[in-house]
Amino acid sequence: MALREPAWRVTARELESSLEEEKGEGDRAASYLLSPFAARMNRVLVTGTLSPAEPIGRDETQPFWRSRLTDPTGAVAVTAGSFQPRAMAQLRSSPAARPAIVVGKAHLYRGRDGVGYVSVRAEGVRFVGETDERAVLADIVRQTLDRLDLLDRIAREPDRSDESFGAEGSPRSWVRAARESLRRYPNVDREAFRRDLRPALRRVAGDSGPPAPPATPPPSVTVTRLPVAAPARPAPTAAERAEESTFLDHLDEIAEASADGYADLKELLARVASQGLAGDRAEAALSRLEEEGVVEEPIVGKLRRA
Amino acid sequence: MTAEGSPAPVPEVRLRDLRPSVSPVELVGRVVAFDRREVVRKSDQSRRPLLSGLLSDGTATVRFTWWDPPREGIERGTILRAVGAEVRAFRDRPEVTFTWRTRVGAAGPGDLPRVDADEIPFRTVESLSPPDEGFRIEVRVVRVAPRTVTVGEERRIVHEGLLADRSGAIALSSWSDFGLAAGEAVRISGGYVRRFRGRSQLVLDERSSVVRVEGNDLPRPSEILERPPVTIARVEDAGGGEAVAVEGIVVGLLPPSGLVYRCPTCARTVKSGLCRVHGQVEGRADLRARLVLDDGTGALTVNAGRADTERLWGVTLEEARRRLRDQPDVSLLEESILETVLGRRLRVRGVGTQDDFGVTITPDSIEPVDVDLDAAAAELGARLGGGR
Repeated sequence: MALREPAWRVTARELESSLEEEKGEGDRAASYLLSPFAARMNRVLVTGTLSPAEPIGRDETQPFWRSRLTDPTGAVAVTAGSFQPRAMAQLRSSPAARPAIVVGKAHLYRGRDGVGYVSVRAEGVRFVGETDERAVLADIVRQTLDRLDLLDRIAREPDRSDESFGAEGSPRSWVRAARESLRRYPNVDREAFRRDLRPALRRVAGDSGPPAPPATPPPSVTVTRLPVAAPARPAPTAAERAEESTFLDHLDEIAEASADGYADLKELLARVASQGLAGDRAEAALSRLEEEGVVEEPIVGKLRRA
Repeated sequence: MTAEGSPAPVPEVRLRDLRPSVSPVELVGRVVAFDRREVVRKSDQSRRPLLSGLLSDGTATVRFTWWDPPREGIERGTILRAVGAEVRAFRDRPEVTFTWRTRVGAAGPGDLPRVDADEIPFRTVESLSPPDEGFRIEVRVVRVAPRTVTVGEERRIVHEGLLADRSGAIALSSWSDFGLAAGEAVRISGGYVRRFRGRSQLVLDERSSVVRVEGNDLPRPSEILERPPVTIARVEDAGGGEAVAVEGIVVGLLPPSGLVYRCPTCARTVKSGLCRVHGQVEGRADLRARLVLDDGTGALTVNAGRADTERLWGVTLEEARRRLRDQPDVSLLEESILETVLGRRLRVRGVGTQDDFGVTITPDSIEPVDVDLDAAAAELGARLGGGR
């Protein structure tokens, strides 16, 4: 029996900190985004100020819109495509930034550089007044604290049975999520994350005005996936410049011919490979171009000039 | 040693002690229900009459099958003595069969085993599950009301309600009038538990007995009907319940919601002018909303009827029909409901049943919850610590 996935109450900060996934097995199995703070999210409920949406992609038969939801702790992208017609209509309907409640599926996209980007694929969007926003935010903060408390208890007594935590009122799914979080993020500073929640609490208490973007809080999660950034790269050689130029030429050509205005990454790599620019060297050229801000990849596998 | 040829003495057993075995048994029981039919043998198309039903002796009730039964003389309530009945297991429950070797005769009430009331074990409501019988319970009548139903050709009154002890609550369906009233504490024996539309139900009939008791330990009806909400995860674990209370946020709306048409006879939803049971009918317009309520631990469906839908939506059935005339697109109404209810906090009480898609609540009440933001901020501030 496949029960409906509950909507985890999370802040933007928690979504930003989530870098681990659990892919379901089998047909139509659900996949989950695991946060360091005991959320095992397929579906989420978030609230904050939703910016006017912008279209991504130029293919008119496949509209896709993106907006940014900012809550007092951070921000997360909210998207909707033709498979979420109602949510998409709602996203498009708003000309200005307004408070909203969003229910949707949590998505993690990991770029080639290993950096994860979390977004929420909206299923339901409702623009609300400030009171409703604060009420939902209160629910989010309360459940976040409930999960943090559960994490602390499990971390203190890892050998206690799930049932005994359940007897204290924690749903089995929460205990499972908490254990998985502890396993996947063994060195998380939960106190720092608690501090990150304070602006949300101030909002619940009635601090008005659009939530200020967080003053780049110290990261509560440190997950080292790559060696520390290499020292500044020497200026590209003439040969490298030539490769980049070949790369861009083909990108432009493919983008020109394509229906949606993007260059398909696979096609591009195949094309430059046939020009003798293969494998690592093509990837290197692409990452240099991305770093320099010449090329961007707004949709997985689709490139365009920035 | 028994002499050659003479049969071994057959022990008379109580139905409670019946176990599948190769040797035939003797038993006495009352026919509780029966049905006659004919079985056609495949090989030669010959027809054999068959009578099957339920037999009870006060200790248990078992299914019985009687091959080539007498044409008449069997009624509900007839007491039979069967010598040489065969006992088999069907789905782990014993069943008896009367064959040509079985001698079946009439018996009287005095032949039924005497069941001392003290012998019957006490059970808690929570421990009951279908097809339990032969138990006693002490419960509070939380609510009860008569309802007229049609059983075959017959119109009968069934007293439906809710019974509860400290362990839980169970639906009541009594085919006999015990004069039950809400608030009473009663000791019940001679009932049985069956599953009806996914719910466990305690069934009472003329063989059941109901005695008023003090019941000081039993919960008051208000304790059952006004229980504080529990997490949806708990309701999912329990597979629903008779008096469920939950609180959550509306995160979606399931079809069919909005303006629907119902069969005037059975109130089923009519699709393309056709009722599933009554065929082509003139559907009656109605409003409904199938709300997805989510509290972060789980999600369930709340089937809101017309009154609740009108109240939550702020649009009456008449207004909805007027809108439909202006813009003939039913899905616009559904969208309008979703836009009104999404993100709203509701407290819902009612009966919860479970199917493959999860728990559905048929609500007794749906109340919007206003969050006290000051209190919430104070409580969360205390938990978060460290000042603001």
